[in-house]
Parts: sequence; structure tokens; C-alpha cells
Amino acid sequence: MLIVAACSRDIPVPDRADSEAYPGGRASVSYLPFASFELPAANIPHEQRPYFHAGKALANQPWIKAPSATDARDGLGPLYNARTCLGCHSNGGRGPLPGSAAEPVFSAIVRVSLPGKNDRLGVVPDASYGDQIQGQSIALTHQLRGKVAPTKPADNPEAPPESRVFIDWLKRTYTYPDGESRVLRYPRIRFEELGYGPLPSNLLTSLRMAPAIHGLGLLEAIDQSVLDNLSDPQDSNGDGISGRVNRVWDFEREAPAAGRFGWKANRANLRIVSASAFQGDVGISNPIFNTQPCTGLQHKCQHASTGNNSDGVELPEDLLALTVGFVRGIGVPLQRKLTRRALEGRALFHRTGCASCHHPGYVTASQPGESAYLGDQEIWPYTDLLLHDMGEGLDDGRPDYLASGSEWRTPPLWGVGLSKNVNGVTNLLHDGRARNIEEAILWHGGEAVRAREHFAQLIASRRDALIAFVESL
Amino acid sequence: MKTRELLLASILAGAVSACGGGGSDNNNNNNNNNNDPAPAPVVPQTDVISLSAVSKLLDTNADIALAAYNDSIDTAKQLKAAIAEFTDNTTQANLDAAKLAWLVAREPYGQTEVYRFRLSPIDSSNYNDEDGLEGDINAWPLGEALIDYVEKAEPDFGVDQVGVTENGAGINGGGVVDGEDVANNIIGDVTITIDADLVANTATAGDEHDVIAGYHAIEFILWGQDLNLDAMVTNGADRDLAVKTSGAGNLAFGGQRPLSDFSSSPLGSRRLLFMTVVVDKLIADLEVVRDGWLDGIAGNYRDQFTSVSDRADAVQKLTEILTGMGTLSEGELAGERMQISYSANSQEDEHSCFSDNTHRDVWLNAEGISNSFEGVYAGYDSDLDGIDDAGSAVDGFGFDDYIAEVNVDSLTAIGTSLSALLAETEANYKSLDTTARNGRPVDVLIMEANRNTENPVYLTIISLNAQSAAIAELAEALDIADQVVDDDASGCDTSNPAAECEG
Repeated sequence: MLIVAACSRDIPVPDRADSEAYPGGRASVSYLPFASFELPAANIPHEQRPYFHAGKALANQPWIKAPSATDARDGLGPLYNARTCLGCHSNGGRGPLPGSAAEPVFSAIVRVSLPGKNDRLGVVPDASYGDQIQGQSIALTHQLRGKVAPTKPADNPEAPPESRVFIDWLKRTYTYPDGESRVLRYPRIRFEELGYGPLPSNLLTSLRMAPAIHGLGLLEAIDQSVLDNLSDPQDSNGDGISGRVNRVWDFEREAPAAGRFGWKANRANLRIVSASAFQGDVGISNPIFNTQPCTGLQHKCQHASTGNNSDGVELPEDLLALTVGFVRGIGVPLQRKLTRRALEGRALFHRTGCASCHHPGYVTASQPGESAYLGDQEIWPYTDLLLHDMGEGLDDGRPDYLASGSEWRTPPLWGVGLSKNVNGVTNLLHDGRARNIEEAILWHGGEAVRAREHFAQLIASRRDALIAFVESL
Repeated sequence: MKTRELLLASILAGAVSACGGGGSDNNNNNNNNNNDPAPAPVVPQTDVISLSAVSKLLDTNADIALAAYNDSIDTAKQLKAAIAEFTDNTTQANLDAAKLAWLVAREPYGQTEVYRFRLSPIDSSNYNDEDGLEGDINAWPLGEALIDYVEKAEPDFGVDQVGVTENGAGINGGGVVDGEDVANNIIGDVTITIDADLVANTATAGDEHDVIAGYHAIEFILWGQDLNLDAMVTNGADRDLAVKTSGAGNLAFGGQRPLSDFSSSPLGSRRLLFMTVVVDKLIADLEVVRDGWLDGIAGNYRDQFTSVSDRADAVQKLTEILTGMGTLSEGELAGERMQISYSANSQEDEHSCFSDNTHRDVWLNAEGISNSFEGVYAGYDSDLDGIDDAGSAVDGFGFDDYIAEVNVDSLTAIGTSLSALLAETEANYKSLDTTARNGRPVDVLIMEANRNTENPVYLTIISLNAQSAAIAELAEALDIADQVVDDDASGCDTSNPAAECEG
């Protein structure tokens, strides 16, 4: 590295626009009296608001074991991670992770797959466990765990959970050029009580924290051509940054599509995000993913009661549309008032190169019909929604469509500083290893190494200023 | 730092710069409509925040909470007594008496739900974390298949799973419906010990919501599923064929679990025991919530909530109350409880789907919102005739009194409009209640054939949304904190309780 100056003087710092205080444009919401990432955008038309809340009910009220009195709210599992969406996306925010090795993972998931390529699914699922470990099941022995004698998986008349998952946190020290150091942590996953036999030795695993869900409708409303223009897969401008668009599968059109959502941008749009989470995380079949979350080798799972309606799925199209409408409609909290220090941090954010990938602002494209309120908004999400090589420190070794193990999608930063007020979770990065913004920055490698080094070479008070700016978002 | 600490930090910082947020007793009669062409004297706009009036309002808000939770505990204890009597003498008369006691128990509780969504004791043990007992007390939707046998809706099942149980009176011509899969639930699996530990530990098993405890668990045991006359699950278009006897009240509505499920069934004693265990936990949980509202206990929720340190704090507290009122109006009641069941014809999303008591849930939730606005709690309806006639009534200082006292035109206008909208909601929920009592409860009204703009469910949703918009306006009119923050006075971002101060 030839970097001598702590900051690149040649990166211009744009004047602060008044609109930056409103990261979601007219869809921005107050954070008083209680900060939340599940509030309706301020500009949802009045007549649409009841539908927002009806959709929220589907994400918020518990799904229950079939059968039940009617067929609208049952069909949980048979294997699942959580009864509700907002159970992990708590208050719409990021999901907590256990800090101790003795506490099982609940709000995060472990994705699994085998080496190889699959253009449709993006990964090669394991024959027994599929592409995600579901730690819960509707089996009575699991529901009343601790109160009934555990049954060996083979003797259990019902489908047992796939596994309990624990995290052992390992340590690693980062030392700043000025001699200050930080002890970082990273996870090693431990599986216990495997329900469907031993895991294959070549299984690829990746721990994934539940991401925050605010502002997603605005991100969806950014025209793809804008993101395509930001991408630079061959790094033809020589800035060391080569963001690229993931090519994924659109399960509705049955065709390839640009990926935009998910830690590796492996989902094309919010309908597919919501539908695949319903199926994989809650075990709710739906028009896009119309099967139970059971692999071909999970016979008890396949034969369990479903909550199917007469149209053969547990969540029919109208209710899926309501849920997606809720997800699209969640507003973004206002930026907090900038202190002088945070304003200084804003300049440093640009000068160090953070803004190269955490692209600050967009104007959303006009949107049709019920989503019209999301269109034509000046928004400040601080993401380019592109895949970047983040270096070996963050490499999970598990490719997903075009994304390699070390490639991750730039996550948006709006609301990041409010997270601790939303639900107390401050963890960052795909597996939640970073406990705060500083640790997240220090894990940046690969294409982001230059920006990280710029940050590291700042004097401590200026590093704090940069973090204060990110906290204000 | 935790939210509360940050909040306090922000309040302290605010105190540096907050100007004259004091008196409510100052001159309220500025002549705003002066027709005199001479230059009007510069008179400071009367502040919309009066600390003394806020204090009175918070006290009444807390008094009502205490009264309504106390009444909830009293009626839950009456329910416990009724279950005990039914256990001792398992007769139809005592089953009916237990059902009546359950319905009465809902009357005060429904009026407490306006205290949700604001980190008060029902949702939070410490005014910060969302770790409250609401999920244990009012678990819903209920995981009934985990608790006891259920009849299966046809599309839900493969042919290998036939219907269930010993059913009798009222449905299927009194005949029995046999089933195979009775054993795989708490009641049916006799190896499971039904005790407090079972309900408590399952309710807190790391899962996000609880599905086997609280009011609705008892409701399910008392009423059973709300099936059709032929003992089959409704197909969504024939709920009016279920037992809906006009004028007979809730005993003739909803589920028709036969007495034999308690008397002659080998599992009868387990059902009785389960209710006993759940009602004990319900009472204990309600007492924990109530204790947060007790007066004179240093450091409890009420103590923190009713102590107003300065203007910013006053605004925060008022906004908390209005957040509860607005969220219940629009998000929870109109949206998550009514719109979803109405737009999806989803009986399961009915709040009290076993007893068909949802019309009362709507009434009582909405009444609770009016209670907060008017500073009045009329007690509860002990004989289910629609008139509050029991309990510890409160008549104190509400938002209407507050608005009258500070007497600022902008607030007065919003207050008048909100009063009218609350009255409109009241007319609509009363119409819903009357319709239900006349034999067309909510599960019938949400059927596709009945969905029209005259439907009282629809009209109540519309008026609840209108009132929530006015509640938001009121909150906005009261929250003018920015005007009193001097940005340069400190390193704190005083508009944000969440921000840390810079030294």
C-alpha cells in the first residue's frame, strides 16, 4: 500500500443537502417517543394504512400449528426457525445473537449447502438438511421441551427439529497504527442434537443475522439501471472497487434477474424475499414457494398436517400481497440532528472512501398503483446494493449465485445508529460478529481495505467523529 | 446506555435551554382575533404545554390504569372461583357460570389495552425493554392444536388424518365425532404433567410469542372451537349456520364444547386442571402489571411516569400516552385485529374466536381509548348488559380537560374534532355490538357475502382510522420541542432522546 495521507484529499465532499435529514424522503418517520423500524411510512395514503397494518398482523401475530379453527393462520412448520417474522426482525430491527456458547441461536439462521452450482436455486442444497437449518419443529416433544422426556429422533412420531445451533466466539486482535487495539470476535458454529443424521463433511455453512427491514420498499424503487451504472465489475476506473450485480433467479417469472436483497443480494425483489422467508423461516407455503420446508429425506415432515387452504398453500396470494405491502411500507427514521462532530465525521466518511460503496443518495423511480408513494423520493440509504469482495476475514466459503464466499452486498446504513433504541441490538455484518460500528469497519477487507486503512490512520478523535456521523444516520 | 438513561440525559440537557415551560396558570386569553388595525402588541404565544396540567393528566391516566387492572384482577379471581366451582360440581349450570365469568373478566381487561405500545408495565418490566407479560396474558392467536383436540378444516388435512373427539350437544345432532389423533397435545398426552411450570416454561421457551397461556387458552377450553352445526369446520361462507341464537348472548354463540368433555371424558379432569393452572398464572401476571401502577412506590413505573421534570419530559410523557391511543386505534385494533379478519374473511384473526365475543373486544379497546381522552373510567359491565355497573370508577383530568385548561386555539380545534371522531367510533362499535347480540357476531359479519360499506365492522375500522389521524395531529400539536432547544448550548442532540451527549 502506498497510502501516506490519512485521507484522500482528492475525494470531494459534497455539500450537505437539507434532504439528508429525511433519509426516506417523504416516507421518513419520527423516532419519538419510541424508535422503531416497523412504522408505516409517513406518506402512505390514508386509505392504504389499514392494509399496512393488516399485513403487519401476518408478520407479527404468531403462526400456529395446523390444524386450528380455520385455515387462515395455521400451518407453522413442520420445521421452522420462528413463529413470526418480527420474532427475529424484532421491532423491524436486526435480530439478537447469543453472547454465550451455552445459549442456542434463535433469531439468526444458518444457511447450508454443498459445493457446486445451481442456476435456479443459487446453491446446491444438502439432501437431508436442505439449504437452511431449522432449529424448531411443531413436534410436541419440542414445543414442550424441558417438560416432556426427549425422544430419540427415530422414535419421535413427529418431525424433530433439524438441530440446535450454538456459537463459540473466537477472538482476534486488531491494532491501529497509533498502537490502540481492539479485540474482535468471530463465530464458529456448533451443531447439537442433529435430527436427520450426521452432516456431510463438505457441508458449507454460513451464519446469518436477521437484517433490519425498514426502507426496503424505497430500495426496491431504485431503478436497476442506476445500480448497473454504479457497478464496475472489471474496476475499469482503477479505484480498487469493483462492485457487481448478482444474477439470481426470479421464481415468479422463472427467469434470471438482478439480485438486490439479502446479505449476498440473492433475491430479486421483496415478493420473493418475503415468500422465501415465509417458507424457509416460518414453514408457511405460499404461491411462490408452494411446498413445505421438508427435504426428500424428511418423511415425517412431509407427512405432517399442513395448513393449506383450498388453493393448496398456507398463505394465499392476497395475504402474501398484504405482507409484502407491509414490508414495502415501513418508513425510515429521520436522521438525528447533526452535532458539529458528526458533521466533521460526514466529511471524513466521504474522504476515507466509505461513500464509494455506501453510496449516499438516490431518487427513486416513479412507482405504479399502490406503491406510488414510494416513487420520486430523494432518499439517503448509504448503499450501492452491489456485491463487493470483502476479503478473507469475512469469507464464509459459501457461494450464492454469482456471489463468492467473500462477496457481500453493501448493507444500507440508514437507521444504523438508532438500532440500539429499536431493540437493543448493535451487532453488525452478516453473522453479527461486529458488536458496534467501529468493529464492523475494522472487519472490512478486500475492496474495502483502502477505506479501512484510511479510517485506521485517522487520529482517535477523528475516528470517533466518523462513527458519530454513522450513528446519526 | 439504556433508553431511559439516555432519555434522562436528554431531559437534563434540555433543562439547560428549555425556556419557561412552566405555568398553566398564565394568561390564556390572548386575543388572537384582534380586529384593531393598530399594530398588535407582541404577546408571547401561550405555550401548549402546561406542567401542572400535564401532571394532573398523567395522574388520572395512572389512576385509570390502576383501577382497570385492579378490576381485571378481581374479575379474574371470580373466574378462578367459577372454575373451582365447576371442578367441584361439573354441571352444565356451572360450565355456563364459568363462561359468564370469563366474559365478565374480559370487560375490564379490554379497557386496559390502551396502555400497550408505550413501554408501560404490560409491555415492559423496566420502562425500556419489551419484556412485558402481554404475551402471557392475552396470547393470541392461540395454538389450540397444542392444547387440546381440534376438528380439522378439510383442506388442512390428508386422508390419513380424520376428525377428532367426543363431541355432543348442540352440534352434529348430539352425536359423537370420533377421532384418532387426540393424544398428541397437552390435554391428550397423559404423560405430560399439567402444572404451573408447564405453562410458565412453555410460555417463555425462547419463542417470540406465547400460544398456550392467558385468557384465550381458558376461552378455548370453555367453549371449544366455533364449529358449524354439523360439527365441521366452517368453510368461510357458512358461519351463519353455526349456533348463533338471537338474543341469547354469548353462551349460545361460538364453540359448543359439550359438558361431557369435562364430566365423562377420561381427560375431563385434565381440562379442568389446565384451566386452574392457567387462571392462576393469569392472576399472578395481572398482579405484576398492576403493581407497576401502584401509587407511592419509589422507582416503580408509575413513579417514573408521573414525575415530570421539565417541559421536554412533559411532551415525552404526553406523546407516550398518545402513542398508545393511536397505535391501538389504527395499528392494533383497526388493523391487526379487524382489517385482517375483515379483508381476509379470517375467523381465526377474530380476537375472541372461540366465544364469538369479538364485538366486546372491539368495544372495550375503543372505550379504553376514549377513557384516556376523557380521563374517565366507568368501571366494567358485571352482568353483560352493555352498561358499566361495577368496579372502581375514576373521573379525573383527561386530554379534553387539558385542552380546555391551556386554551390554545389550535389545540381546541383538534380536541373538538377528536371528540367528534371518538363519538363516531362509539356509535359504530355500539352498532356492531347490537348486531352481534342480535345473532350476527363478527365471524358472520366478516363473511364475504356480508362485506359492504354498511357493515359495522367496516364502519368501525374507518372511524378508528379517522380518530387515529386526529390523535396524531394532537401529538404533533403538543410536540414542539424543537422550538426550545438551543443547539449550541451543549453537545447534546436534545431533539433525540436516543443520542448520547458529547462532553
